[in-house]
Amino acid sequence: MLDLLARLGRIGIGSLEQLGRGHLLLLYMVVGVGELFTHPRLLLKQLYSVGVLSLLIVAISGTFVGMVLGLQGYYILSQFGAEQTLGVMVSASLVRELGPVVTALLFAGRAGSALTAEIGLMKATEQLSGLEMMAVNPVKRILTPRFFAGHISMPMLAAMFSALGVMGGYFVGVGLLGVDDGAFWSQMQAKIDFDDDVLNGVIKSLVFGLVCTWIALFQGYSAVPTAEGVSRATTRTVVHSSLAVLGLDFILTALMFGE
Amino acid sequence: MRDDKPLVTIRGLRFLRGDRAIFDGVDLDIPRGKVTAIMGPSGTGKTTLLKLIGGQLRPAAGTINVDGELVHQLATRDLYRLRMRMGMLFQSGALLTDISVFENVAYPLREHTGLPESLIRKLVLLKLEAVGLRGARDLMPHELSGGMARRVALARAIALDPMMIMYDEPFTGQDPISMGVLVKLIRSLNDASRLTSIIVSHDVREAAQIADYIYLISNGIVIEHGVPEAMLSSASEWTSQFMNGLADGPVPFHYPAPALEQDLMGAAG
Repeated sequence: MLDLLARLGRIGIGSLEQLGRGHLLLLYMVVGVGELFTHPRLLLKQLYSVGVLSLLIVAISGTFVGMVLGLQGYYILSQFGAEQTLGVMVSASLVRELGPVVTALLFAGRAGSALTAEIGLMKATEQLSGLEMMAVNPVKRILTPRFFAGHISMPMLAAMFSALGVMGGYFVGVGLLGVDDGAFWSQMQAKIDFDDDVLNGVIKSLVFGLVCTWIALFQGYSAVPTAEGVSRATTRTVVHSSLAVLGLDFILTALMFGE
Repeated sequence: MRDDKPLVTIRGLRFLRGDRAIFDGVDLDIPRGKVTAIMGPSGTGKTTLLKLIGGQLRPAAGTINVDGELVHQLATRDLYRLRMRMGMLFQSGALLTDISVFENVAYPLREHTGLPESLIRKLVLLKLEAVGLRGARDLMPHELSGGMARRVALARAIALDPMMIMYDEPFTGQDPISMGVLVKLIRSLNDASRLTSIIVSHDVREAAQIADYIYLISNGIVIEHGVPEAMLSSASEWTSQFMNGLADGPVPFHYPAPALEQDLMGAAG
């Protein structure tokens, strides 16, 4: 019994310590923002590898999710003779939920895991130590640009996801199933609110961007510097990010739409 | 700067990893302009000692004085300023893998000097020439052999003309030729640029060959120190076992275990 208590206590203290370290790292990364102005190339390079390279998977997924929404939505809505509102259904689900959430999940798998592996391996091969000994702060030089690149990329990727999703829904609904072209767009225009729907979606993806990149960088930076340690850290990044995104999505949705 | 005071003075150093004491009362002096080897069996924390001198780790007790400054009490800014005068050669080379050999050597220059590009190019080529790799400047780190990577890292470590260089196991895993090249390089760099060199190693022959002074560390304390000749002919059993590479001696060949007969009979559980 006492053993169990002691073990529980150790786990509790360990988690708190991790949490504290994570927040300190976040603070150092945010404080290092000046680095982006003195070395803008670092940020551009990371925007390319974190953002641009994630574009393809996000674009393809967005299109297919939109197409599925078009199909499913059409069958349900047509039972009530409401297939004219297909555009609203597709765009509302994408902009409010699926865009930010699925993009964040894809981002965690594509960019987050890559970030963790990269930082973890840099640690394992003493590159971070090497920078320190060259009197260069690795948090500012290596982590900060990646952090802001993730933060900036996520809303744009989510927007891309939603836009292509709407196109996918349009292709299936209007192109294949015969929903009226004008109704599809005009209903969407009338019912989708910029503040309520679009802006809230952007806020969500900003939060997800912060959380995913932060978790990925923290896991990489605190990884045990061995092959096994890096592989575990990469797994943890994907698991923690996905859970955090889904949990936070519920909280944010409740705050934004729950009246 | 040409005085006789040691460049690095360590007194009463104590460092813990978890509950285990890695160092427990280590006193060390690193003389200026000399090559000092710090030797000991694997796992004695030799690399840790270099990290302590470089201020990457902080001691639990004791003082580490580098060129008149207490490393462990420096503010980050001053520590970084001091590190610009220290070069460190990591075991793996620690080259940045996403930029070329040239850019790796240019990195500290670009970071810490406002020199124009033309001058940086000249300096980098000179440093690479010193390690014999001027022709490899456009290669990427993954295209280099282990020995070449270490030489590039050495060129990078001397880019800012530091007052001292710390070598972490420079000879480990090298073929005889690149080993010979490294031994020659370390010695000639030290003498030509009036550097102070600290070598952490367990390669007795090579270290004894170039070191002016040797410290032998084991179990958290300095076992013995002296010039290489004295160390090789030391009367201490332990020193003689280590320096001559004998399998058994005061450091037993066997990890502590119950008697073999007992173990084979299954009695020891």
